[in-house]
Amino acid sequence: MSYFSPFYLVMVPLLMAIYQLASRKARPVILLLASYMFIWFASNKLIIYILLATLGIHYFGMWLDDLEKEKKAAIKDVERSERKLIKASFKKKEWHVLIFAIVLFVIVLFAFKYVGFFVSILNDIFALTSAPVFIKYQKIIAPIGISYYTLQCIAYLSDIYLGKIQAERNLFKLALYLAFFPCIMEGPIVRATDTLGQLTNGEPLNYHNVTFGIQRMGWGLFKKYVIADRLNIPVTLIFTNYAHYHGGTLFLGMIGYTMLLYCEFSGTMDVVIGTAQIFNITLPENFRQPFFAKNVSDFWTRWHITLGAFFRDYIYYPMSLSKPLKALTKKTRAKLGNHYGPLVTGAIALFVVWFCNGLWHGAGWTYLFYGMYHFFFILSESLTEQLVVNGCEKLHINRESKPYRIFQSFKLCIFIFVGEMFFRAPTVSQGFAMLSKTLRDFTFSGKELLKLGIDKYDYGVLIILFAISMLKEKKINVRETIAAKPIVLRWSIYYAFIIAVLIFGAYGVGYLPVAPIYADF
Amino acid sequence: MDQLLDILEELKPEVDFENSEDLIDGHKLDSLTILSLISEIEDEFDISIPAVDIVPDNFNSAKKIYALIERLEEE
Repeated sequence: MSYFSPFYLVMVPLLMAIYQLASRKARPVILLLASYMFIWFASNKLIIYILLATLGIHYFGMWLDDLEKEKKAAIKDVERSERKLIKASFKKKEWHVLIFAIVLFVIVLFAFKYVGFFVSILNDIFALTSAPVFIKYQKIIAPIGISYYTLQCIAYLSDIYLGKIQAERNLFKLALYLAFFPCIMEGPIVRATDTLGQLTNGEPLNYHNVTFGIQRMGWGLFKKYVIADRLNIPVTLIFTNYAHYHGGTLFLGMIGYTMLLYCEFSGTMDVVIGTAQIFNITLPENFRQPFFAKNVSDFWTRWHITLGAFFRDYIYYPMSLSKPLKALTKKTRAKLGNHYGPLVTGAIALFVVWFCNGLWHGAGWTYLFYGMYHFFFILSESLTEQLVVNGCEKLHINRESKPYRIFQSFKLCIFIFVGEMFFRAPTVSQGFAMLSKTLRDFTFSGKELLKLGIDKYDYGVLIILFAISMLKEKKINVRETIAAKPIVLRWSIYYAFIIAVLIFGAYGVGYLPVAPIYADF
Repeated sequence: MDQLLDILEELKPEVDFENSEDLIDGHKLDSLTILSLISEIEDEFDISIPAVDIVPDNFNSAKKIYALIERLEEE
């Protein structure tokens, strides 16, 4: 099951018809039933886990809310000094409820995703120490979307604890917030403040949102069928037989895989956000022209935005602003100064964020390495920032000039391509072997490139992608611009686009469609 | 306000803090700089900024940061 499957492409128009015919009150119910049907087809009996998670956040959310109400009643007409004590006592209780709930959700996620990985580490240790122990473990299938909705549950309960939102008492609304079918498999990771209010509006379909939603889905199909699936053949060939290729070809393989990953994931997001738009629901964006970023840190505010924002808001800031780390910041600032002092605290929180980010992507050494790789570069950027600023000033280099920005994007792309190569490689040692060969033997062989199955059309479609990204970066809204054109020109563009997907899409024998990569995380 | 502007300019000299309204949304302040900023503000103004107040809306401009400081000073 994926958002590109025939099932989905039939389900959406059918749902549109039923949704439009239903009464305003019934529409949210239809969206919930459709969501559960989608999860049932994708995950069968494992649907039970999302149902339990819904009951869980409903119960814990109300518990936190009730404690807050009790606190307000208790501090009424009480002296200021006593009020402080009562507040602290209730905050402690709320903290315990929150931590208990988070631990429960994380244990379930851990049981499905990580037990196998940690059992294999233990077995390796036993084998190394010649201990006569071997733990047997059989891989279990994780419920669809568990990595996404677990984070949504944590965000929802944390927001109530922090006082950002009030608990939702309506179980049905919470169920739809957690299970809404377009974002259940691959995100975006939605906050209650993003969608909870919109989901139950039951507004009728309207021309603007339907046409714009369908266009957005079409753009996603283009990225997936015309780019990602075409790139899958050469990328699979290169990564499987890397020892037979020259360094130049391996480097192209890294670029190819990064483009494949970007087109597969951002294409899925286009389908997801487009589907939601059809039903008048605005989901948060997950990509913002990542390859135009200034540095690795900026890249992560443009690539998988909602995951980065989750780690920033629920791990990075709470951790670095906790009492022990704040005290540490004070000490290090006194010793190391204003720039490097807070970096020590930041580095500790950043390490935890990137460890979790790596692990979230999958239970494996390559993913952990991927997390640490980004941690290293983001920290290095912060450590050297002052040096770069001073160096540029001395050399009279304008850091906002075009050539400097191009240099920044070029440097960033190299870091990202290498990082994604480790992400794709089956083992970290293969990643290093590929990197070493790329650096030692950086030559291109025309013969090799011809055998990869890439032709001039493939470069053409990448140019289209680049041109559209460039326009978006310059804040030109391509779809609004096309929509404002006269009807004949407008529909000629739409038809040309549909025909392009049909002709240049990678289907049939000889093609290897990309599996939904982020659905496995 | 001048005290705050001095802190901000020392952290990121290249940013026009007096006129910027999108310090966070425009990605002019990254998370590590925010950490330095919070630490400086807490020392300078003798307040404690809780995690709940670390939201883009409170840090998008010098004026908004100052409003946050004033609010926390009153509490």
